[in-house]
This record gives sequence, C-alpha cells and structure tokens, in this order.
Amino acid sequence: MKPIIKIENLCFGYYPDRSIFDNLCLTVIEKEFWAIAGPNGVGKTTLLNLLCGLLKAKHGRVEVESKNISAYTARKLAQKIAIVRQEFAPLFDFKVREIVSMARIPYLGTFGFEQKADYEKIEEAFELTGTSELAARKFGGLSSGERQRVLIAKALAQDTPILFFDEPTSFLDLKHQVQIYDLLRKMQLEKNKTVLAVTHDINLAVQYCDKTLLLGEHCIFQYGITEEVLRREQIEKIFNVSIYTSAAEGKEYFIPVGKYGKKKDV
Amino acid sequence: MNFIMWILTSRRLILVILLCFLILLLVMVVCACCGTQDISLSRVFEGPSKLPGENVDYEIFMGIRLPRVVLAALVGAALASSGVVLQAILRNPLADPYILGISSGAGLGVIIAFLSGLSFNLLAGSPVAVFAFGGSLFTVWLVWLIGYFAGRLNVTSLLLAGVVVNAFFSAVIMFLTSIARSEQLRATVYWLMGSITEKPASVLGFSGVGIVGGIVILFIISNKLNAISVGENEAKSVGVDPVSIKLAAFSLTAFITAIAVSLSGLIGFVGLVVPHGVRVVLGPDHRTLVPVSAIVGAIFLVSADTLSRTVFGQEQLPVGVITAMAGGPFFLFLLAKYCKGISWLK
Repeated sequence: MKPIIKIENLCFGYYPDRSIFDNLCLTVIEKEFWAIAGPNGVGKTTLLNLLCGLLKAKHGRVEVESKNISAYTARKLAQKIAIVRQEFAPLFDFKVREIVSMARIPYLGTFGFEQKADYEKIEEAFELTGTSELAARKFGGLSSGERQRVLIAKALAQDTPILFFDEPTSFLDLKHQVQIYDLLRKMQLEKNKTVLAVTHDINLAVQYCDKTLLLGEHCIFQYGITEEVLRREQIEKIFNVSIYTSAAEGKEYFIPVGKYGKKKDV
Repeated sequence: MNFIMWILTSRRLILVILLCFLILLLVMVVCACCGTQDISLSRVFEGPSKLPGENVDYEIFMGIRLPRVVLAALVGAALASSGVVLQAILRNPLADPYILGISSGAGLGVIIAFLSGLSFNLLAGSPVAVFAFGGSLFTVWLVWLIGYFAGRLNVTSLLLAGVVVNAFFSAVIMFLTSIARSEQLRATVYWLMGSITEKPASVLGFSGVGIVGGIVILFIISNKLNAISVGENEAKSVGVDPVSIKLAAFSLTAFITAIAVSLSGLIGFVGLVVPHGVRVVLGPDHRTLVPVSAIVGAIFLVSADTLSRTVFGQEQLPVGVITAMAGGPFFLFLLAKYCKGISWLK
C-alpha cells in the first residue's frame, strides 16, 4: 500500500479571479485504477497536465514516488509517467512502429538509437496490446480504435509505473470502449501499472475503476471508492442533470434523462 | 562504448549514409571533370608538375573545379539539412531555410555592402559575404525576439514574426534598389538569384568546418526532432524539452544557412524539395532524414551547378535559376504522388 502520487494543497487557475483547484489533496496508492470524472471544463485535463509537470501549480506540491515533481528532470519524469492525450496529430507520415519507438526516447543514449533492450520493450508492448500486425502500417491510416490501441502500446513501451489517459474512449464505439478499458485493466493487473483515466463516462468508471475523483464546478471535489463517490444524488448535483439508475451485475449504472425526450411534452 | 553500440544498432542507417556518400563523391568527381575545358582524370592523377602551366588539367581540376564543386556540396548540404529541421520544428511542411527571414536580412546586408562600396577582407570573406552573414543572423535574432515576446517561441508567432520581418526588409531592399545605380543593381540582383563562384581554399575551410559541425550536432538531436514533429506536449511527455531543442535547432540552422547564404546568395528550392524527396523515399525518421538530406542536397546542388556552368558554354547561369526550374516541377510531382498516397490510404 505505497502511495505513488501525492497531491497536497494544490491550487491552480488560468486566470487570477477564477481558480480551478483550491486546496486539492489526494493520494494515489500504487497499482490502483483511478477515474477522474466530471463535467466539461472543470479541469480534468488540467489536473493531468499539473501531475505530469506540463503546468506549474500556484501553491501546493505534487509528489511522484515521494519526490516533488519539480525536482525531476523532464527525462526522469518521463521514465515515471506516460500519458496518452486526446489529440495526437503527427505532422509526417510516421509508421506505427516509429510512433511506438518514440516512447523509448527517455532511455536513449547520446546518438539517440534504440538498443536491444529497447526493441524488446517495444515488441512486448505490441504483443500486450494486440497491435503487432499494425506495426508496419502508416499511423495516419488507422481507425480510431486501432489508433488508441497503438497509443496505449506507446505508453506501455515507455515502461513507466504510472499511466495517464485523457478520454481514451472519446471517439470509440461501444465495443471499442470496453476493449480499451479491458486493456487498461489488464495493464493494471498484469503489468502492475497505476492508471489514471480522465473520462466523462461514469458508467465505464463504475465498471472498471477502483477509485474515482469527481470534480465539479467551483473547485468542488470528492474522491474515494468508486461506488461510494458515484451515487445518484451526487452525480445529479455535479453534472446538473436528472439521472435514471439501473442495476446490472450488482453495480449501479447511470442514464442521464433529458427534458424533451420522445414521450414527454415539449 | 556508446559509439560502438551506436554502430552495432544502426547498421542500416550507416549503410544508407555510406552509399549516399559514395554517390556524392562520384558525382563530385564527374562534375569536376565537366566544363568548357575538357580535362582527363589520368592527367589529374599525375599530380602537379614542376613547372607551372605544364599540367594544365591538374591546375584546372584542383584550382578551379574542385573548390567550386566542394562549395556547391557544402551549400547544398547546409540548405537541405536546415530545411529538414525547420519543417520539423515549425511543424510546417512548407518551411524552408529562409522562412524565418534570413533571405531578406541577407539581401539587405548585401545591397548595403554594394551601395557603400566598402572593401575589406575579414577571415578571407569579402564585404558582400560578411554583410550577408551578419544580415542573416541579425534577422533571425530579430525574429526570435519578436516571436519570444509575442508568444514564448510559439510556432505561429515565430512564423508571423518571420513574415513581418521579411516584408519590412523586402520593402527596404526595394527602396534601396530604386535609388541604386545600375551596375550596383545588376550585382545585387545577380546575387539574389543565387550563384556559386570559385572561392579561396581558406573560405572553404572555415565554412566547411562550420557547416559540417552544425549538421553533426543536428544529427545528434535528430531523435528529439522526431518527438517534436509529433507535438510539443507529446515531446515533453517523452522527456524532451521543446524550448531548448527549438533554440538549439534554430541557432544551428540559422548559423549554417547564414554561412551558405554568404557563400552563394539565395539559392531557392534545395531546402524545400530535397527534404520532401528524401522523406517520401526513406520515411520521416529524422535520424535518417538529417544526414541523408544533407548528402542528397549536396548531390543536387553539385549537379545543378555543373549544369549552370556548362549548358550555355562560357556564359554562366545563376544556379538558383536551375534549382528553381528543376525543383518546381519535381515538387509538383511529389505533391501529386503524396496526395495520391493519402487518398489511397483513406
């Protein structure tokens, strides 16, 4: 039960008069699968960027493996955290293998060429994500589901204890949504990764995530075991929508109900 | 140790580089033999004679042809490798070595040199070369400064700064050409077209060290260019600091492009077409792209320069005219092929 990420009194805002986080405190234990949920614009992606050092907090500190992230070099931090972002648009026509190989950059020597150990990590990542047959294809020609799997392979090849995902299922159909989350769960269980996934989809969080951080407007936050955080009243309040719940396999799932549905009077 | 590991793990790349380099050497020798005066290689290999003027072939080869061919190779290598790097850093396939305003800065320097009629000799460089070099570096520095204050070296603000500085300096150039005398004007216009002329060995030595050194450092950072060409946040997430890599890459490309410009004027298209051509054939990995583009750029410019001094006999054509005439259609061909490739994928 070793804490791997520790956030203490984190304060941040893009504008002085509008803060996004006010005294956020959170501890992530090793090998946990966290969902970071909440409506648009409450700072889910911002939180990931603060955690991976892309943004600097106004106050407070973020520790990764008991060391302040500002004490890490970019290279060392890249050996701890891999992140799959929402947007990924290579300028040139890279092949899948070349994209995945870039994950090894934090480990390369002066001349910047992969060694045997690097190739092994890359092959392993291809195998685990079932993307070996895509390796020789052009990245630009992949479907959304294949793209996402390749990016997960890239994150895996980076060989970090922590994986961040920003909306990993945003452009995927139902089958590919669960396929991706199955894969994330596999990373957690088989490769002992600590996984943090930003998502709008609270039902995927219910199904897969051990813990959930629910962010709301006006710097509200709540976290804990997923089932305890994601309750109907809480979701209705945070998302400002009425919710219909339905149970399956002992878990409670949430369906948002709009005002002008087909059977209702407009 | 590191170097040995590198050789072991990148045999394919080393083979490609060696092959390209052999072709370059071959092209250089062949081109050095072409010209208005026929010379035979066997006579050249006989070496210098005791009396000057006895082995004319050797003297022409070593004194005129070889320096010129080496110069063309250096300039071609500098322009092509700068083009590759700037396309990656600016995330813009239309980028070329002149995109951040070097061309207008160098042009302005040169016209000032012609108008002022100065004559001096700095490190074996003529006033024109020194002013072109200074003008280039000054402009790039100015563009950085504007880009930095407009948005912390953000790509769009850099490109806009480049466009603005280019436009302003071009206006100054036009103003100066409109008040220039006709012989100064002719010299400036000829320079702007880009031309390769014989240079003393000392100039070749200095610029050779600068250009080759710059390309070697660019090669060493080339795996980080891969990361940056995918996106700056993406680069950061694999531990590459985009700001320092951008600064290093911009300074190096500005430096080697400024050397190239001061040697040969504004030779267009090499820095745009060669990187695209090599990328279509070998893929976008910058670890291959940087060295191979440099060599292919050298081959391209050596050949173009040989054409420029042979097609019209004694009368020499500015090599910039040849590169643009050959480069334009070739670029269209690439564009067509590239677009077809995309639609085929979809």
